[in-house]
Amino acid sequence: MNKRLWITSIIGVIVLAVFGVFFSAHSNADQSAQSNQRIKIIFWHEMTGPGADQIQQFADNFNKKQTKYEVVPEYEGSYNQAIQKVLQTHGTNASPALFQSMDVSTGQMRNANITTPVQKFIDEDKYDMDKIMPAARAFYSKDGQQLSMPFNTSQPTLFYNKAVFKKYGVKDLPTDPSYDDIKNAAKEITDKSKGAVKGVTVDAYGWYFEEFMANSGQTLANMDDGHDGFPTKVDFTNQATVNAMNWLQEMNKNGSFISFGSGSTSASNEIASFLSGKLGIMLQSSASMGQLEAAAKPGDLGVTYYPRPNGQKSNGVAIGGASLWISNDKDSATQRGAWEFIKYLMQPENQAQWQKATGYIALNKDSQTEPVLKELYKQHPEAQVPSNQLARTKPNATNSGILMEGLVQMRTITQNAMQQIYAGRNVNDALKDAENQFNSYLAQHNKANGYSNK
Amino acid sequence: MLKSFDNKALEELNDSNASENERAKKGLKKRSDFGYAVLFLGPSLLLLGVFVFYPMIKTLYMSLFLTNNFGQTTIFVGLKNYTSLLTSASFLASLSSTFIYVIGVMVLTIVLGLALAVFANQKLKGIQFFRTIFSSTMGVSVSVAAIFFLFVFNPTTGLLNQMAGLLHLPQLNWMTDPNLAMITVIVSTVWMNLGFTFLVLFGALQAVPRSLYDAADIEGASKSYQLFKITIPMISPSLFFVGIVTLIGAFKSFGLIDLMTAGGPNNATNLLVYRIYQDAFLNGNYSQASTESIVLTIIIAVMTIIQFKVLEKRVNY
Repeated sequence: MNKRLWITSIIGVIVLAVFGVFFSAHSNADQSAQSNQRIKIIFWHEMTGPGADQIQQFADNFNKKQTKYEVVPEYEGSYNQAIQKVLQTHGTNASPALFQSMDVSTGQMRNANITTPVQKFIDEDKYDMDKIMPAARAFYSKDGQQLSMPFNTSQPTLFYNKAVFKKYGVKDLPTDPSYDDIKNAAKEITDKSKGAVKGVTVDAYGWYFEEFMANSGQTLANMDDGHDGFPTKVDFTNQATVNAMNWLQEMNKNGSFISFGSGSTSASNEIASFLSGKLGIMLQSSASMGQLEAAAKPGDLGVTYYPRPNGQKSNGVAIGGASLWISNDKDSATQRGAWEFIKYLMQPENQAQWQKATGYIALNKDSQTEPVLKELYKQHPEAQVPSNQLARTKPNATNSGILMEGLVQMRTITQNAMQQIYAGRNVNDALKDAENQFNSYLAQHNKANGYSNK
Repeated sequence: MLKSFDNKALEELNDSNASENERAKKGLKKRSDFGYAVLFLGPSLLLLGVFVFYPMIKTLYMSLFLTNNFGQTTIFVGLKNYTSLLTSASFLASLSSTFIYVIGVMVLTIVLGLALAVFANQKLKGIQFFRTIFSSTMGVSVSVAAIFFLFVFNPTTGLLNQMAGLLHLPQLNWMTDPNLAMITVIVSTVWMNLGFTFLVLFGALQAVPRSLYDAADIEGASKSYQLFKITIPMISPSLFFVGIVTLIGAFKSFGLIDLMTAGGPNNATNLLVYRIYQDAFLNGNYSQASTESIVLTIIIAVMTIIQFKVLEKRVNY
């Protein structure tokens, strides 16, 4: 036989052998996992930095405290990426037992039928849900049933730089500022600093777009923002939205507004400008609180509720962040373990520690009297504002989130509309375009997934 | 690569077996040839089949359907995905910004890379230092470059606007103005590409015989005449190579876009590849993403064929 053929055959055998070793090693690993006494709870999360560290800490403490379960946190990239990973791995042994999924994925997660509603365990354990902040609970429930447990919860909040306000002799903002309060302060700062300091920015971010509607008591999607059935249409051209967008455009036109674009980099650019005293007012998630407090001089950080329409009481804003879901493709012991870990996370002292470490709001009402938070509020009284905003919000259909699929897509579309408006496009035209674009997407999406309200 | 190697190997094998085969019966020869062919082509066909052909066919298949949340095909729509995509204003905008980006990146990269290479190809004191600096961007990762440019272009604290402020020039919103964002991204990409381009072109310049320039000098030809009549024709294979690599690389640009503008502002930098990523992995709209992938594949194939057909004729090897 030819020499080359021999060489090829030998290479082939080696390749096969390597594959064989790889696969046998793999099955060995499986066996050793089975021989482990503890039940493994794979927990997918999307936290980075202090959030990820704190989650690891919680898991370690939980694993030390008991011997039945072993929680293994795994970071899975951004919120958007994690949704697709969860959906695509469901039913395989690569899927998690417990996962964190972002606010706007709630409708999709519910419709996908891949999770066991936490209500089942709440009922079994007679768990006292009244301890959890109502506005956060309402966001992740439908027809009185709790689908998932709210976890890292933030509020859209307005931050202003008190040092800048003081420097240019501008009066501090009230705790519940109206559109005009902000517009006037921003103009004053810009004028008095001769343009060296920009008055205000609002990220072109779909979340804020939705919150302007929530705070005005305006539904965004039909079927009561999806709390009554599958939404088939959205309404971006209502008066409340037009008012908010006009307000933003006016500030743009009078030169007191600066746009930092959209996406993750815009937020960090914005915060950098804010902290260096080049920007007076910005909207941000309350989750940035920790970062801002660490960098700002004590007393320089002003925090208020989300802007409200002129001459109108604020309806309260929907929460942001993410919740914890229990996959239904794992056996009941594993699901039980996932629930035990959720209960552990919701304990008052752990929620207090979570707020201190990350800036997300402690959801257990008893957390407010924990020493960790008392100490925090003593040092930074403003850190209490988001919690107060959340606590005073009475949940209704317009401020409890939108139970609709395709919200990720919708945010891309509304963000573009906001950027067009910042660049000077007619507000009604931009909103109408966005509305049509999303409605045609929604129609196709409902069709592809076989959703109908009949 | 693999396939051509296998073909070559097979040919050589045939040659060496020629005398044996002459003695063998014809039928037997055919059968053993087929056996060899399977043996040698098999592995690469298997790998290509699993990782290239199957996904390609699946993509084509999915582009003819609507897909649900799990990425499963549900409703057959024929070519409707294509017609609605090709009439969608935002897709056409993406398409035109992709072309602007690709052409901008390609032209600037080659022109600047060539300029640097010509400059570095002189015998000057300390030129070694500049040669190292010019090729150094090859060692910079995309994320580092993105962070660096984010600092440079930040609207208030950025280096560029700080300098503009000192010189009393207008401060521009480099990344948030839809008209400027494209320029910002192109400049950043060109900077990233420059190291590699410089290195290839510089290497080619070093191989051009000195005697040609000496002859030209004796005849009194000007420097620019030498550049266009000697340098560029002599390094045309390298220019061609750099051109194609930059073109395909630009079409596939993802990292800088994701890190710097995320497709914004107002879709101004939402290039095709980024759009496909968004539709598939963020929006979960797999049929739309598949349709866009097929369109992109066709565009890249056409562009590459054009380059080979038209430009290759002008290349001196």
